[in-house]
Amino acid sequence: MKKLLSGFVMIVSMFVANWVAAAADLEVNTPAIAALKASMQVRHGQLSTFYNSGAVGLTKDAFIAVKDATAVPLKDRGGLNSLVSAENADRANLYKEIATANGHPEWQADIQSTFASRWIDKAQAGWFYQSGGGWVKKWGLPQNGGQ
Amino acid sequence: MLFSLRCLVAFAVLQLFTVPSFAVSQINIEIGALSNDSIEARNADIQLNLKATPTIAFKTALKQPADKAWSQAQLRCQVPALWLQETWSCSDGKFTAARMSLPFVLDITPQPKGFVANLNLQGASFSDEAGLHAAEKLKGYLTIAVRQDGDTLHFNSALNWQSGEMFWQPLYIANGGHELQANGNLRSDILTLDTATLKLDKVGDLHFNGQVDTKTLKIQKLSADLPNLNLAEAYPLLFKPFLGKTLLNNAELNGKAALNVSMVDAQVKAFKVNLKDVNVDDKNHKFAFYDVNADMPWGYDDETKVHISYQHGQLLNMPLGRASISAQVNRYSLVAPEITLPILDGALKLSDISAARINDSWHWHLRAALTPVSMPDATRAFKLPIMQGKAAAEIPLVTYSGGILTTDGAMALNVFEGQVKVTQLTMINPLGKTPKLSADLTLRNLDLGSLTRTFSFGAIEGKLDGDVQDLEMVNWLPVKMDASLHSSPGKYTKKISQRAVENITALGGAGAAAAVQRSFLRFFEQFNYAKMGLSCKLRNDVCEMNGIESKQRGYVIVKGSGIPAITVMGYNQNVSWGELIGRIKRVIDGNTKAIVK
Repeated sequence: MKKLLSGFVMIVSMFVANWVAAAADLEVNTPAIAALKASMQVRHGQLSTFYNSGAVGLTKDAFIAVKDATAVPLKDRGGLNSLVSAENADRANLYKEIATANGHPEWQADIQSTFASRWIDKAQAGWFYQSGGGWVKKWGLPQNGGQ
Repeated sequence: MLFSLRCLVAFAVLQLFTVPSFAVSQINIEIGALSNDSIEARNADIQLNLKATPTIAFKTALKQPADKAWSQAQLRCQVPALWLQETWSCSDGKFTAARMSLPFVLDITPQPKGFVANLNLQGASFSDEAGLHAAEKLKGYLTIAVRQDGDTLHFNSALNWQSGEMFWQPLYIANGGHELQANGNLRSDILTLDTATLKLDKVGDLHFNGQVDTKTLKIQKLSADLPNLNLAEAYPLLFKPFLGKTLLNNAELNGKAALNVSMVDAQVKAFKVNLKDVNVDDKNHKFAFYDVNADMPWGYDDETKVHISYQHGQLLNMPLGRASISAQVNRYSLVAPEITLPILDGALKLSDISAARINDSWHWHLRAALTPVSMPDATRAFKLPIMQGKAAAEIPLVTYSGGILTTDGAMALNVFEGQVKVTQLTMINPLGKTPKLSADLTLRNLDLGSLTRTFSFGAIEGKLDGDVQDLEMVNWLPVKMDASLHSSPGKYTKKISQRAVENITALGGAGAAAAVQRSFLRFFEQFNYAKMGLSCKLRNDVCEMNGIESKQRGYVIVKGSGIPAITVMGYNQNVSWGELIGRIKRVIDGNTKAIVK
């Protein structure tokens, strides 16, 4: 009975999450969102080298993390860390602003989890993302250019 | 050597190469395993060579009991004739572990109750698993003299970092040239530094002394003095890595600083910061301060006076003039009777200032008055069309708490021969990435003549009133408001030019103007009007527009009077804000004709 109930709760919560994702306009634009996206765009140019080398990977909660700092020369490691924390600050703000712009600040967590799979879908082959307890290299032919 | 006498010998083989047995030339000791509480060794191989210059060499695998992986250590030393007095010269020293390689040579001279050692690192490298504490190609030497005196171990040491790079999260040191000298003693877990000097190449010298508990790493006493710090070198090396989330994370600094700090029981008791001719320039161009001089003492127990002055600067593009600030600091609070910050040709006068640091964030409140600032200068600074007039403000209470700046009072701008009043002004993170502002605005009796000239809108004569309620701006762009603009009450000349009619019509979208263009009205240069008005209720990027009165198919923006009378209508009820801004821009840029056609 307990199992049945928890299964039911899980299905309902999955449905709710999907419904939120479907209902929320993830492409909504406000000056705040535009400013955050512009700042992330500029940073992406610097981050993509780190994604390619496997120094940085995409986390399952829609952020990024230093996966292997040893892939980066010592002199760039401080920059790597500040780049990652600045990106994560922008991402957290972005999820919040998108939820606010949709008129539902309480959707932030669901919007964030939708973004998590979105970032991974958009990632280039060879980039790392978190799956289960570890890092997985995205399979596919390597491609050039931005995300 | 490495093992105390309490070592438990698990397995040992002693081989004597004794052929013939009376002329021993080499002794080999192989130890299978050896351990005590803090260290384990295995496969140890000690060779004692008894030739003309006797040598002793050892090689062993080592680890701490909790570790899984074994490290390798090796060293070969010449045994001096007087081996309790003369120098042992050791070469081929190497300590190797996962992600670590420390090749070294060592000279060690026994002394009464101690020794003097010279350790020379020859291209060492190490890294933790995450790569957050790592060094490469480190070269340097350590000279240390140790003397045991009862239960106290005295030492004199000098560490000289010659070359190699190191990253010690979040600090990165690119090259050598740094020195550390320390004299002190160790007694029952308490490390006492009597004198110590850290010389950082190009940055400055740090002199310090104090006491630290080596078990808990708690600082019991510390007195540190950095008399001459070169900020241009120190900022990227020492400060920037720690300022990641602050406003100072992307600045350029130069000038000199002197720092002084004293700590007791892990708590800062007093510090003093002096700045001399310092320039701070934010690379994001949010602020800059030049020729900053400051004397900022602070004491946990004593009240202090701080002085800060700068020659000039800018804040959000607003030029700041010479200012001198004094304040009284009492532990975690600050008061100042008055601070005058010259801005353009006016000044921001702050008074009854008090601030307190509660739970690691600052809370401020003060009175503010802006003595008249010329609008031409201010608009030029903000890269706006040049406006005439003056701006002034009188705000009885400004509070800043948790990144939110709120005002209770009004800012008055005397512009376009009328008045603009800003009330309920609130700002969130004004210097951040997505600054937010909310306010109410009232516009009274603005002269439409100078307004339309300023913004290159077709000429209109008359006066304008306006009310903007619940204005919300993000990144200095409106996201929400209830705005309405309309002719001021009263008697005055009301004329509108053909071009202004076209432009207002163009704001309503293409097509609307065609009616005017086709009619005989196009032959008139200007018209009289009775009233005009336009409102915008901005929500979710859509502006719900209205005029002075509603008609079946739209709303009236300009109601004509006399002959010929012209009525300008608006037909778009809901216009995308971006589209509307685009239309206004095109009108101002004088490209209206292209749209009207």
